[in-house]
This record gives sequence, C-alpha cells and structure tokens, in this order.
Amino acid sequence: MNKKQLQDFLEAALKRHTQAPPADDAAVERVLKRLSGPLPRQKMPLWRLPGVLLDWQFAPAWPRVAALACCAALGFVIGIAGVDRHFDGGGSPFAVASRADLGSIVFEPEPLTGARP
Amino acid sequence: MDDSDEALMARIARGDERAFGVLASRHLPVMLGLARRILGNAADAEDVSQEAMLRVWTHAPRWQPLALFRTWLTRVVVNLCLDRKRRAPWVALEAAGEIVDPAPGAGEKTERDERERLVAAAIAELPARQRAAIVLTYGDGMSNAQVAEILDTSVSAVETLLVRGKQNLRRALDSVD
Repeated sequence: MNKKQLQDFLEAALKRHTQAPPADDAAVERVLKRLSGPLPRQKMPLWRLPGVLLDWQFAPAWPRVAALACCAALGFVIGIAGVDRHFDGGGSPFAVASRADLGSIVFEPEPLTGARP
Repeated sequence: MDDSDEALMARIARGDERAFGVLASRHLPVMLGLARRILGNAADAEDVSQEAMLRVWTHAPRWQPLALFRTWLTRVVVNLCLDRKRRAPWVALEAAGEIVDPAPGAGEKTERDERERLVAAAIAELPARQRAAIVLTYGDGMSNAQVAEILDTSVSAVETLLVRGKQNLRRALDSVD
C-alpha cells in the first residue's frame, strides 16, 4: 500500500469507525428511567435574586396598610412637634440648671457654721 | 406551544420536569452515541449521559442561549468523557482471535480485516482529546470551528489534534506493512 492509498484508506476508515452507532433504545430507556427519579436542586444564579424579590405579589392587607398609616402619622407628628427643639429652651429643667451660676452653688459657705466645702 | 430546545430550557429553568423529560428524550440517543464513541464503553457512556442531563437540569436557571443548546450539551458530554478518561485510563480490548477463511481471496480479506481491527484499536488508544476531535470531525461531520468551540480551544489546536491523531494511526498501520 503506497502513501496515497494509505491516506485514502485512513480517511475512509476514520469515517467508518467514528460513525454514530444506531440508537440504543434500551440504553436510552435505562437512562431516562434513572432520570425520572427525584431531581437535584437547581442552581439559582445570584443575578436573578432581585427579580425574584420584585416578583413578590403584595396582596392588599388592611392591617399592614393601617400599620403603614400609623407609622406615617407618627412620623408627621414627630416631625411637626419638634425633635429639633433645643434643650435649653424655656421651661426645661436642663435649661434652669444651665442658667444658674454653678460656681456660687458649689462654693457658697454653710449658712449656719460658715464652713466652706 | 414552542418546543424548541431554547423554549424547553426556559421552562426547565422554572422547574418544569415535563419539559426536562422532553428535552432528555430528544437528545439522549445522540449523546449516548457520542459518549460511547469517545469512551469506547457502553456502561460509562450511560453514566456520562445521565450526568450530562442532570447538569442540564441543575444549570438550566443559569444557562443563557449564547450558543445553540445542542452545541452546549455536546460540550458538556465531551468534557465529562475527557474527565472520565483522565481518571480511568483506557483499557484496550483484547485482540480477537483470527479465523482462517478457506474461501477464494480469503488472504486479501483477512489482511483488510486486520487493518480495520488495527484502526479500531489505534483509535481506541488515542489520547482522549485527539479521539474526541476525530469523533466530532469524522463521525459527526463538524467543522474545525465547531469542534474548537466544543473542546474550548482554538481552530489551530484542533487541526494539530487531528494531524497528531492521524499520525498516530498511520504509525499503527505502518507497523503492519
């Protein structure tokens, strides 16, 4: 067999020996049967997580709506009534203490004995 | 209803087991044949095909139709075959005994049969990637570009695999002459 004949034979033999075999129905059935059992858990991609969250169906629920309304009202009242009011404003006990002369309270002599602290 | 592979994959991604059954029935025969030709073993081919289909199920939510489903599945099967061959090296079948045929021209026929047997044995002993490239190119008639995509390599690397594979086969045949 010369080189050309060998080359042709090789090409033909490769095609013959690597041809797809006829379908083995029994093997296919066996594999399908094995696959029909409980399937493993699917792997969810992270990029689908926001989609899953957005897909949630928020059914109307009056208690939730009422809670939301209460929170909104509370926020409005706090906002209007003044978390921003200063501590040294009028009437506050802190304000009175802050206005007093702290040094005179501390170093004032005892009225009866005249002793100093 | 759209029964294309891509539509079925979209349904499988939502956990549709019926769609998975349809897709598996459609592709299993071909994938079994491919695995059997690469592995040379029917039992291993069944295991690999099962594993490949399970990967289709588990990875369906992550799968994106960047390539044809068939190409992706072929790639999964080929990679699983290569992994298996890497773990368990090929064990060549024992050479069948020769039977002397008394018919006219029996000598020529015997020589031809011997060559065929040698080719089969030589293909079986090729390194896994060379064998996969040859099976996909000659058996399935794929282009070098398609084979490169499946083997996750370049076209020139596929050409090298084919050339080296054929060199190995030629050496095996030369040893007879």
